[in-house]
Amino acid sequence: MNTKISKVAVLGSGIMGSGIACHFANIGVEVLLLDICPKELNEIEKKKKLSIESKEVKNRIVNEMFNKCIKSKPSPIYNKKFLKRIKLGNFEDDIKKINEVDWIIEVVVEKLEIKKSVFDLVEKHRKKGTLITSNTSGIPIKLMNEGRSDDFKKCFAITHFFNPPRYLNLFEVVPGPNCDKSVLDFLLEYGEKFLGKTSVLAKDTPAFIGNRIGIFGIMSLFHQIKNGEFSIEEVDTLTGPAIGRPKSATFRTADIAGLDTMCHVANGVFDKCPNDESRNVFKLPEFLNKMLNKNMLGSKTNQGFYKKTKDKNGKTKILSLDLKTFNYNDQKKVKYETLSIARKCKKRDEKFKILINGNDKASEFYRENFARMFGYVQNRIPEISDDIVSIDAALKTGFGWKEGPFEIWNYIGIKEGVELMKQFDLKPADWIKEIITKKINSFYQVKNGFIEYYNIESKSFNKMPGQDGFIILKNVPENQVIWSNKEARLIDIGDNILNLEFGSKMNAINQNIIQALDKSVDIAEKDFKGLVLGNESSHFSAGADLSVIFLAAIEQEYEELNFFMKMFQNTMMKLRYSSIPVIGAPHGYTLGGGCEVCLHCDKLIAYSETYIGLVEVGVGLIPGGGGLKEMTLRASDQFRANDVEVNLLQEYFINIGMAKTATSGFEGFDLDYLVKGRDHVIMNKKNQISIAKKTALNMYDMGYTSPIRRNDIKVLGKQALGMMYVGADSMLAGGYISEHDKKIANKVANVLCGGELSQATRVSEQYLLDLEREAFLSLCGERKTLERIQFMLKNGKPLRN
Amino acid sequence: MKEAYIIKAYRTAVGKAPRGFFKFKRPDELAAETIEYLISQIPDFDKKLIDDLIVGNAMPEAEQGFNVARLISLMGLKVDDVPGVTINRFCASGLETIAIATAKIKSGMSDCIIAGGVESMSYIPMTGFKPVPNYNTVSKGKEDYYWGMGLTAEQVAKEYKISRESQDVFAYESHQKAIKALEDEKFKSQIAPISVKEIYLDENLKRNEREMVFDKDQGPRKDTSVEALSNLRPVFSATGSVTAGNSSQMSDGAAFVMIVSEKMLKVLNVEPIAKLVGYSVAGLPPKIMGMGPVRAVPKVLDQVGMKINDIELIELNEAFASQSIAVINELKLEKNIVNVNGGAIALGHPLGCSGAKLSVQLFEEMKNRKLKYGMVTMCVGTGQGAAGIFEKL
Repeated sequence: MNTKISKVAVLGSGIMGSGIACHFANIGVEVLLLDICPKELNEIEKKKKLSIESKEVKNRIVNEMFNKCIKSKPSPIYNKKFLKRIKLGNFEDDIKKINEVDWIIEVVVEKLEIKKSVFDLVEKHRKKGTLITSNTSGIPIKLMNEGRSDDFKKCFAITHFFNPPRYLNLFEVVPGPNCDKSVLDFLLEYGEKFLGKTSVLAKDTPAFIGNRIGIFGIMSLFHQIKNGEFSIEEVDTLTGPAIGRPKSATFRTADIAGLDTMCHVANGVFDKCPNDESRNVFKLPEFLNKMLNKNMLGSKTNQGFYKKTKDKNGKTKILSLDLKTFNYNDQKKVKYETLSIARKCKKRDEKFKILINGNDKASEFYRENFARMFGYVQNRIPEISDDIVSIDAALKTGFGWKEGPFEIWNYIGIKEGVELMKQFDLKPADWIKEIITKKINSFYQVKNGFIEYYNIESKSFNKMPGQDGFIILKNVPENQVIWSNKEARLIDIGDNILNLEFGSKMNAINQNIIQALDKSVDIAEKDFKGLVLGNESSHFSAGADLSVIFLAAIEQEYEELNFFMKMFQNTMMKLRYSSIPVIGAPHGYTLGGGCEVCLHCDKLIAYSETYIGLVEVGVGLIPGGGGLKEMTLRASDQFRANDVEVNLLQEYFINIGMAKTATSGFEGFDLDYLVKGRDHVIMNKKNQISIAKKTALNMYDMGYTSPIRRNDIKVLGKQALGMMYVGADSMLAGGYISEHDKKIANKVANVLCGGELSQATRVSEQYLLDLEREAFLSLCGERKTLERIQFMLKNGKPLRN
Repeated sequence: MKEAYIIKAYRTAVGKAPRGFFKFKRPDELAAETIEYLISQIPDFDKKLIDDLIVGNAMPEAEQGFNVARLISLMGLKVDDVPGVTINRFCASGLETIAIATAKIKSGMSDCIIAGGVESMSYIPMTGFKPVPNYNTVSKGKEDYYWGMGLTAEQVAKEYKISRESQDVFAYESHQKAIKALEDEKFKSQIAPISVKEIYLDENLKRNEREMVFDKDQGPRKDTSVEALSNLRPVFSATGSVTAGNSSQMSDGAAFVMIVSEKMLKVLNVEPIAKLVGYSVAGLPPKIMGMGPVRAVPKVLDQVGMKINDIELIELNEAFASQSIAVINELKLEKNIVNVNGGAIALGHPLGCSGAKLSVQLFEEMKNRKLKYGMVTMCVGTGQGAAGIFEKL
């Protein structure tokens, strides 16, 4: 099926509907978002003397819901400009427009009767062959199919997004019994390639895969704590980043999702899965019913397991619920010995072993928790899925777990997992017993650079699907590692292209990384066609290694600092002027030094979730690794005859002076950290490195010549500098920035303007780099800068002083 | 010394900027049409009698550049004989031109001058298109020479302890007075109706034309309240009290008067309206430019040998509520004779036009109230003040 999606209709503008509409707009699709008309006028409308038939009233629901969604944080939209791709309307006036769309997505209330009436409407107006999917999380597709035309049924499936659709990458696809195979294949592929998700084929069972297991996990914790052994914050400490799960862990996640929504799913499973051996886990414990009755539904009612309040100094404080007294109290610091030991362990498999083998309460908790989880997931095959891969993928992408349940079990060991289960009277499933008798002690293995999984049906290891288009660095065999040091690996990713993978903490730029960059260019220039700078961590690079700078600065070893910065700058220039194409593959935080690395690549293949920016002023410094030089150059290249150049340059000044960070790859273009027409944003992180590689190869094949060194950068000197000084002073007078901010801003201005030159002058890159370094070093001698760096190192957030 | 008489005085309605009814009315046309209207009010007037056109303008560049006064003369008078000069003293420009014209006539250098001002803040932003502060000056700590006006208003609020609440109440009262004045049609006879022609794309993306005439000030808001004003955020300072609601509005407008000698008065056989009897300007620190009138008013009173109590009606340009209140307090002005029909917070402040506009308003209200002495005063950017005293004839 060669379907092209250029327009979709989303029916229902609730939190999911609006979020889905935004995500389609994100990827460049036109969206028609519709909802019902209100039945009566509200007070404001009455006051305005509007009629129930007026457009403003008829669109009120969709307007309100959509506005609420786009104001939510983090933003559902990559770039505010994309919002104009979404048209709002109502079911009465605009439903006929669905005959122009390629795909209709139903996201109305989870009630079969209502969904059916919407489908009746759809049948009336839909063009034959138009895709139609439902975002239901619980209504069986066979019930929704009832009474539908053959063509409808052929094109009908469930496509289940997770909230928020932009950020959670699980895309469950459930085909109806009459669904055309080509429709299913299309949806699975579209989810991956266009929506940037992980498509998981699920069966028509209650709550599908993600929610069935995810809600089980949360519900079983609710039962585990109801006797009061663990407090809310204790469980969240144990079930958060300590085991590779989001910071929101268990209870905070429940608060965000809404307790009512979660209980709705739990009730659904309880009602519809009479044969589930752990059915009782889905029964709401007493305290949960009490919370529902008291409208303690989480963030949406401002109180759930946590409550945000302000102390008497106006500082925000988050209290936690005491399940015994039902009062909100101050959170207590949670500390477990096992966690402190595990934190130091870098290897994931060993970490999990440490977690279950300790002697404290934490280990006890993990033993029970993992045992129950293993016991549950093993029995869900083949009920909800035929393979372990889909279950792991669903939890990883839908709930933000770093490892899926089978992967954790794999780390612990299959036999060891079964031992754990036995401690809680849980029996291994037949297929598990079989694996053990076969003396296989893993679900996954890596072979020839590919992951293989244990296929329960064929009873053998099979290559995990979908890997062919991808390059997965962590699976690359050692013999493809061309060069490495303690914190970086240079990998041959085939076709004469190299990839340099950073591996320092937060991928910070330090001596090792700089050395690796330097070496990579040497090696690539000698024997290869191109170089990719890409990695698979959560973030491309959070910036220069501040601890190194801090230590040198506090010891006043300015010579050493100067040497380091010079080395950094030289390496950036080497990237820029190498004889091979260098492709940057930024994703996640790409800040400060990380951003500077990208600014010196020939082209960027950025992931849509890239947060790129020159944020040095936040730690009292300026971009000293060529960042200011590069932005001065970019501004200069945009000057046209008779332009008022200072106004354009001022934009760069503000972006850097305010440490602005793009909130998506697309926003990176607005800040000019990504270059329009040259750099690209891709939707799926999984194929980022392979696309970057193809791009490098392409550039090589088109005949790559290294750029000519620049000595024609127009800097404006005093004529622009005065304006920037006034700008910074006004910000200070207005109380928006501090004295030290002003000092830093003036230093930024000084570099951007090329210093106190009497007239606009053409300068070289080295001239600007020297100015940068001078400014950087002078700030390293400032007490307030050192305080900022120290605060950042200690607390992970900027200090305003 | 000879005498100089103001014989005609008109202003346009004031439109909001940058999205008001004059948003695409070019300032040169706006001024030219105001002058055309003024001339049309003198029967059988020979335009060649005019010696000069003096136009006040605070941002004389782009559509207001190219010595806009000369262009306005050519466009509005449709004869080649009348020259034009553009004068800039920021917000006092429109008053300054009246003073220059009066002085020229009194000294015998001219017999008939059209003076006034025009400003389109829709076309030209507050700082112009290329603000280029002098680096040698600002790098010596004189950044405040170039501060935005809002910051100076904050500085005044801070130094003179003007509370947020009193600013909001002041702003509210300005709107109330203006609304009442509009309802009572107080401005009707002083306004030159201006027609605006628009060529636009209709919903079918076809070019279409429409024309509308504007003769009522657009700024005053009936629906505002102290509460609504108190909910606005400060715009110039994180911790400040000056908001969009208690500052003057950005506006488009034009206002002109004709000033003639005794000789010309007889030739034309018209009745004089008023005359400017004194005018002073004064300087003060740029940071507190809002206090300009506190320096200029005593100076002009001294010049003409009057006391503040001799002044029966005052138009004090409401650049900001903070400075207006501080000025009223410092000069101990009688509140109920200040801005009786509302001020710039409600009616708008088309920078270079305001001085002339306020004069036009003053004349008419003095006539209604049968008063003799009135004053127009304002603060002026980069630390100046101006004040002029008129005698109603």
